[in-house]
Amino acid sequence: MEIEVLEKVDMNMRLLIRGADVPFINALRRTVITEVPCMAIDEVVIIENSSVLQDETIAHRLGLIPLKTDLDGYNLPEECPCKSEFGCNLCRVSLTLDVESKEGTRTVYSGEFISENPDIVPVSDKIPIVKLAKEQKLKLEAYARLGKGKKHAKWQPVSMCTYKFLPQIRIDSKRCDACGKCVEVCSRKVLVKAGDRIEIRDLMPCTLCQDCVDVCPQNPPAVDVSWDENTFILNLESAGALPPERIMSEAVKILDKQLKEFVRQIKVKKSEKS
Amino acid sequence: MKVKTLKKTSSELKIEVEGIGHTICNLLQKRLLEDENVDLAGYDIPHPLSSNSVIYIRTKGNMKPEEALRNAVKKAHEMNKEFSKELKKALKKI
Repeated sequence: MEIEVLEKVDMNMRLLIRGADVPFINALRRTVITEVPCMAIDEVVIIENSSVLQDETIAHRLGLIPLKTDLDGYNLPEECPCKSEFGCNLCRVSLTLDVESKEGTRTVYSGEFISENPDIVPVSDKIPIVKLAKEQKLKLEAYARLGKGKKHAKWQPVSMCTYKFLPQIRIDSKRCDACGKCVEVCSRKVLVKAGDRIEIRDLMPCTLCQDCVDVCPQNPPAVDVSWDENTFILNLESAGALPPERIMSEAVKILDKQLKEFVRQIKVKKSEKS
Repeated sequence: MKVKTLKKTSSELKIEVEGIGHTICNLLQKRLLEDENVDLAGYDIPHPLSSNSVIYIRTKGNMKPEEALRNAVKKAHEMNKEFSKELKKALKKI
């Protein structure tokens, strides 16, 4: 197996993976979306709310705000040794909001949160929460916890995690007359006309739609689009809670742990029977 | 994760596992089918709202189905470890 990082910019990461197959890459993708934990506001105690939005609507909006996560310093509530429903300072972080609009209408942004841990803050300061008119107040205490995406979408660490096969485009130069129809029809501009030949400009954006094959006037078509079944392009965009490389390594660790637990359970079953 | 045996003969094994879904089951099915001694391998999720899956393995008679299952998990585990190693290597390069 070979892995190459094609692109890593801010929260986006693209990997080229050779020597894997669909069930494995899909297992990684599913683990990234549902099993990698991250922080999100889970409980909101509203002390005063005279805004136009209901308490539960504001609480719902607060839950969806992505928070920067510290996976090593906090425990999942199910695994925390305190075993209390309220939580301790190892499994929950409190964020407070105390705003009012003194004159005119103003918007309350996520940057106005005061967190008890300066590392666990909203990813972006500019997320609007609610608009307050003159003399409206909002005062609340929010408790953020670690959680997994399978319980609620607010705990999904990624905004997108997709994979596709690596495209393989072959142009038969003996049959191609460089009419340029395939270059025009391609919506991703994969092909380019260079003199009296058609060449591949950039292979990566190809979506394997086969439009260029359909439009080729030759019979059989001079351009052939196929894919390598064991090579994948995995695209991951983090929502900001964790850096993308951390999400990927956590996913691999969690998959590893699940497989180990499965083997352990089968062994237990085997020894029970015999 | 709880495992319950539904059917067990010398060449067949049907187990119900709580707490795993398509993520692990599809991976194990593919690994099991790569084994020459495995005749049939499949999984079913009886109800989408309960996280139970049923794994069924039938071997050609010269290997116990539990052993085939353990080999499949071992193969999946090794691929996972290799991915982890290669990922660390690739991230160091940039």
